[in-house]
Amino acid sequence: MNLLSPDVIAILMLDAILFLFALIALAISVQIVRKWDRSATTPLQYALEKRAYLVATIIEYIFYLKLPLFLYFIYTLDLLSNILPGAMCAAGVTNATVYGMPLFVVKILDLYLFGLWIVVHRIDMNKPDYPFTKRKFWFFMLIFPLFALETALDVAHFNGINPHVIVSCCGTLFSAAKTSAVSAFITLPTSAILVLFYGNFFLIVVSWVFKRSFFMALFNLLFVPVSIISLVAFFSTYVYEMPHHHCPFCLLQSDYHYIGYPMYMTLFFGTFFGIAAWVAQKLGFDSYGRWMLRSFIGDILYVALVSYYPISFYLKNGVWL
Amino acid sequence: MKNLFAFALSSLTRRGSKNFFIFTIFTLMIFILAAIFTITHALKSEMFMTLDALPDITVQRVVAGKQTDIEASRSETIAGMFGVADAVPRVWGYYYFAKAGVNFSIVGVEAFGTSYKKSLDVVAETYADRLMEENTMIVGPGVAETLKRHFFSDYFYFVKPDGDLKKVTIAGVFKPSTVLESNDIIVMEIGLVRDIFGMDDTMATDIVVRVANPEEIPTIARKISEIYPDTRVVTKEDLKISYQNVFDYKSGIFLALFIIAIFTFFIIIYDKASGLSSEEKREIGILKALGWKIGDILQVKFFEAIVISFGGYLLAVTLALGYVFGLDAPLMRSLFMGYSVLKPPFELPFVLDVGTLALIFFATVPVYIAATLIPSWKAATLEADEVIR
Repeated sequence: MNLLSPDVIAILMLDAILFLFALIALAISVQIVRKWDRSATTPLQYALEKRAYLVATIIEYIFYLKLPLFLYFIYTLDLLSNILPGAMCAAGVTNATVYGMPLFVVKILDLYLFGLWIVVHRIDMNKPDYPFTKRKFWFFMLIFPLFALETALDVAHFNGINPHVIVSCCGTLFSAAKTSAVSAFITLPTSAILVLFYGNFFLIVVSWVFKRSFFMALFNLLFVPVSIISLVAFFSTYVYEMPHHHCPFCLLQSDYHYIGYPMYMTLFFGTFFGIAAWVAQKLGFDSYGRWMLRSFIGDILYVALVSYYPISFYLKNGVWL
Repeated sequence: MKNLFAFALSSLTRRGSKNFFIFTIFTLMIFILAAIFTITHALKSEMFMTLDALPDITVQRVVAGKQTDIEASRSETIAGMFGVADAVPRVWGYYYFAKAGVNFSIVGVEAFGTSYKKSLDVVAETYADRLMEENTMIVGPGVAETLKRHFFSDYFYFVKPDGDLKKVTIAGVFKPSTVLESNDIIVMEIGLVRDIFGMDDTMATDIVVRVANPEEIPTIARKISEIYPDTRVVTKEDLKISYQNVFDYKSGIFLALFIIAIFTFFIIIYDKASGLSSEEKREIGILKALGWKIGDILQVKFFEAIVISFGGYLLAVTLALGYVFGLDAPLMRSLFMGYSVLKPPFELPFVLDVGTLALIFFATVPVYIAATLIPSWKAATLEADEVIR
């Protein structure tokens, strides 16, 4: 390994533990999916019912550890940017290897999926006959390959970072130049981005007012990419107060009062519950309305946070960037 | 939920001795880890503070892989490059004092010239008249003390490379406030240093370069190494990165070893938590007979693990902070100080960042909870009728 930073070692160690537990959970899930029979009174069915508890405990453990660990992961990337020549924030470190960007996407996807698994599990446990047991273990078997991929990417990424190779800074990665990955979005006219963002938010508000969980989930799902694109293309420039600084990672640094952490947390909270509420209603869970409310609050907080910067900039300076 | 938590607490106290053992060991482990990391972090930030005072670029001449003297005149060529604010040849070196087994750092200054370091400028100015006198030196507090112990309280005889002796009088001692930098330093007039080391008058030890715009440092460094292919050009950034790597390496090696310890501990916890006494089994049986579900017992067990691991973490971190910053980390700091007889005495500056605390947390607490997962599940799925019987 080229990089012997204690933070990376800690993350890799936890990855190993989580992966080991996920393997146990996978083995039991396969058994349950194959042999589960609600009405049987065999010792096997009896043992499986007990093992189902173990799998649930393991997955909850993984999810609740992954939440803070993800924040810590981002923090570590930020820290590594001090060592890597050229990197000034986590963006450079993420792009230090080809695995960085996929790793990020898979990590976020995994958070949503594990969260949804716990939603299904909670609802299942509230029903007297555990109707979704087989389905939820199928679901876990589908998540597992993604989780394995995440672990592999984690190892490959940290292993592949070479502290002697110069990496790009976010200034070039997120620029309007043709070569950057997101130039297509940055060069979009501001009005289009704003219409997209606030229009999407308006649709969420409408779905909430009419209590339509399906549309709530749909628009929340859409809200994730729309928010990130609008953050990169428009809102981030106001946070930095620089028209050419588009970066979703520098927000997480102390220079900007770590504002990125509450932003991304509220966005995750809002969109996750928006999607979960629909799943809950589909599975016949009565209090999904409360989840829609949570989603709504999370989305509002996010929109308020990102809108604050351009508005306060305009009030202070009297011009738009 | 609140009741389950209260039950977990009382259950912990009921089996006090067993839990106390685990709690103590766990706290001790986190304590060691936390102490190491806080010391590293404190040293690192101290180091970075002193690094800022270093020259932007240092140019050394390398012959056959070894550093040798460089022509002082090269500094003029370098100073003529665009963007270079100033290039100064330095004359310095280590003088081994065999009787005490220590190395002194001898630094040459020009009494009224500018040197590469502010603190040296100040010294040169305050003691200018005394340095101008023939054969005088200003010494750091550590040097003064060592010399005095060997009965050189007013002067010292340096042995030159050709075997001659050079008598130099001690004209003054540095203020103790600069002790970290100046403890082992001897400052002399530049010609005197050359005389003692047997260096040619046209030569210098290395050349330090100051660059007006920090963005231009890499470009200028490249230009210098193109003009003089026999030199090694070291920038401040290079030094910073390699120091960072050294510290990361030290604590990384430690953490890698520590992982072995924590996995051993993992097995001990696993074993302890699996081996339920018949009394505990009875208790679980009775609870289940009373209508507790598997989930309830799992939750109680989980709360127990949380209380022990979080409690251990908080206590250990508090103790470690007291140990490192209150007591100045006796014993452990020598691990990091390296060994040198003229070690400067100093206090660790109080630096505490959330990242270090998070690192300690993630390296310990989740491991403990993971170790109790399966045993808790085993306990929670015990059969009521079997264990009460």
